[in-house]
Amino acid sequence: MNEILTVNQVSKSYETKLALDNVSLKVERGDVFGLLGPNGAGKTTLIRMINQIFKPDKGEILFNGEKLNASHIKNVGYLPEERGLYKKMKVGEQIQYLAQLKGMSADDARKNIDYWLQKFSISDWYNKKVQELSKGMQQKVQFITTVMHSPELLIFDEPFSGFDPLNADMLKNEILELSRQGATIIFSTHNMESVEQICDKIALINSSHLVLEGKVKDIKQQFKKGEYEIIISGSYDDNLLIDGIELCGQTNENGICTMKVKIEKGKNADLLSNILKYTDIISYKEILPSMNEIFIQTIKNTK
Amino acid sequence: MNKLFIIIKREYLSKVKKKSFVALTVLGPLLLVLLMFLPALLMKNSTTSYDVVIVDSTPKTVINGDTIAFFEGKYKSNEKVVFSYNKDVAAAQKDLKDGKVDMVVEIVKSNDKPPIKTFYYFADNEPSVEAKENVQTQTEQIFKNSVLMVNYNMSKEDIAIVNDPQIASYITDIRTGKESYSEVKMILGAVLGFMIYFFIFLFGGQIMRSVSEEKTSRIVEVLVSSVKSIHLLFGKIIAVALVGLTQFALWIVLSLILITGVKVAQPDIFKVNDKEKIELNERVVTADKLNALDMEQSTAQKAVQSLQSINFPLVLSMFLVYFLLGYLLYGSLFGAVGSMVDDDADAGQFTLPITVPLILAIVCLPMVMNDPSSSIAQWLSIIPFTSPLIMLVRIPFGVAVWQIVLSVFLLILTVILALFIAAKIYRSGILTYGKQIKYPDVLKWIKKK
Repeated sequence: MNEILTVNQVSKSYETKLALDNVSLKVERGDVFGLLGPNGAGKTTLIRMINQIFKPDKGEILFNGEKLNASHIKNVGYLPEERGLYKKMKVGEQIQYLAQLKGMSADDARKNIDYWLQKFSISDWYNKKVQELSKGMQQKVQFITTVMHSPELLIFDEPFSGFDPLNADMLKNEILELSRQGATIIFSTHNMESVEQICDKIALINSSHLVLEGKVKDIKQQFKKGEYEIIISGSYDDNLLIDGIELCGQTNENGICTMKVKIEKGKNADLLSNILKYTDIISYKEILPSMNEIFIQTIKNTK
Repeated sequence: MNKLFIIIKREYLSKVKKKSFVALTVLGPLLLVLLMFLPALLMKNSTTSYDVVIVDSTPKTVINGDTIAFFEGKYKSNEKVVFSYNKDVAAAQKDLKDGKVDMVVEIVKSNDKPPIKTFYYFADNEPSVEAKENVQTQTEQIFKNSVLMVNYNMSKEDIAIVNDPQIASYITDIRTGKESYSEVKMILGAVLGFMIYFFIFLFGGQIMRSVSEEKTSRIVEVLVSSVKSIHLLFGKIIAVALVGLTQFALWIVLSLILITGVKVAQPDIFKVNDKEKIELNERVVTADKLNALDMEQSTAQKAVQSLQSINFPLVLSMFLVYFLLGYLLYGSLFGAVGSMVDDDADAGQFTLPITVPLILAIVCLPMVMNDPSSSIAQWLSIIPFTSPLIMLVRIPFGVAVWQIVLSVFLLILTVILALFIAAKIYRSGILTYGKQIKYPDVLKWIKKK
């Protein structure tokens, strides 16, 4: 059993609104899992249920094959979208307090605080109050409180919002490092660029339903439209094309032509040999849809 | 349980370390001692006296060959009003114009009614109300004394007895044999009631702010992913209660230290006479015995003695019981309100319904003090929302055991209900951001499983 998290036909509704409707998904150990969806789709509700803030109305959530219970709290780290710390509490005390609430002993917490503060080279912040720190600095402290207790499962809700590009990059590397060390990571975001860079798998939730799930690679294959980019020397000529090829666009620059074509199945070789009759091919590659396109297309289709 | 302890520890330490806590802890006893000494200090400091010149223009009487003036020479001066006499109105008025004295009072006898008339003259300042009243009272008293002396030929001693017969009253509880001092009990009751009122607002407000701070800073989302929301709320409530008890303990210790200091400096105040007990059946008490008793007892000693007539262990333990229960009742509701507001400015609309019963209790306080066993006092001391305050006012006067038991029992039930409701509101409230919460929402939260 390699699934760290199993969401089984979970439904949840607030007073009048249905937040999640019969959602099932699986996260395997070591995955970097993207939980995608527009605002208000139900991502935060799902995350809160994984964090045992709410209980599902229907269905169940399994952690390492066991029904979610209080003993799992120490194995989950959560960075919510709405960040916050005690403003008047000192950095060191605050990290220790939150780690203890996660179930760490005071001694272990102290050791880990030193490790993390050194790692971010912010050891001299230990006795500073949070309100004395800049917003970016506070984010670093918040990140440490999330990972301090070395949880098996880390949940980041819009982790890059509020970080400048430099710190966002550092954070990304830090997250990937944790993933290499064996942590499973769930990302909730609508920043599709970071999804392509980081995630192996995604689940897309739209208006409380799961509409897409799978490996990023597979999904891209599934959504590809048979479009290719061919770069040739010389300029464009209609003779280059054969039957079953649709030209989507072309540009000529410095004696080099870039064509975008849609190729019918099985005609790739014919097209290439036809082109080679006239000129040289500099590059030939398949255009896969970006996650952003897939996201928008899927949301539109499910509306 | 362990996590609850960690929460309590943090909340407790963060509040005890606050400057406002330290300030209140030190200022409380200081204020108490200051209030004890302020009147004496003020007396000493007001050295400027009000000078009154009396011009007695009434006809003199001759008794046994002595010429006796009705008013002249009979006014008693004190620290504030000093009397002098002048036979000539014009001369006295000149002194007044020159600013040498503050007021001139001429007393004249006439044949119409009333026969004695007093004329007050002032120059720069309106006569002080205190001085005027002083003159008025003394004039009436002196007139009475003089009439008794001149017209009825009474001796000074007899006149003194007529004026101040000193009829002593001894109110004794026939069951305990202890004497009753209603005034002291009234003051004690009022002080206890006000303290409860003050502390409920102080500590309830602390819970509310502490809850809304976590909500507005959004740290609460991380917290509830680590611990149950009920632990978070109850941890706060317990911690603030401990803070309150710590404060009481420190106040008692500090006050005892200060009072011991006063005892050393002013040993007379606290010395209590081994007063001869007046037996219940001893109907005839000789005047000598009474006089002897009164002579020996200063007012302060009487006060100390009357304090001893109160069952302090009962009052103190009842204070703790009602403080804790009242605090839990209102504190949990304040906590619920804290979870409903996004910023402190919105708090008003939700705190109002909570504060109304408390304010009602304070408004009824004088009435209860006046007649602690009236039916309204009894009702208010049994109804849970007002009972913590009103019952404490009644306790020093003695309350039937069944009433205390019923009142505490109902209060405990209400506290359990309030904690239950507060936990429900809190659970939903803390995670509801950016939306104006209305009462129907709150009802739904309470009903939610």
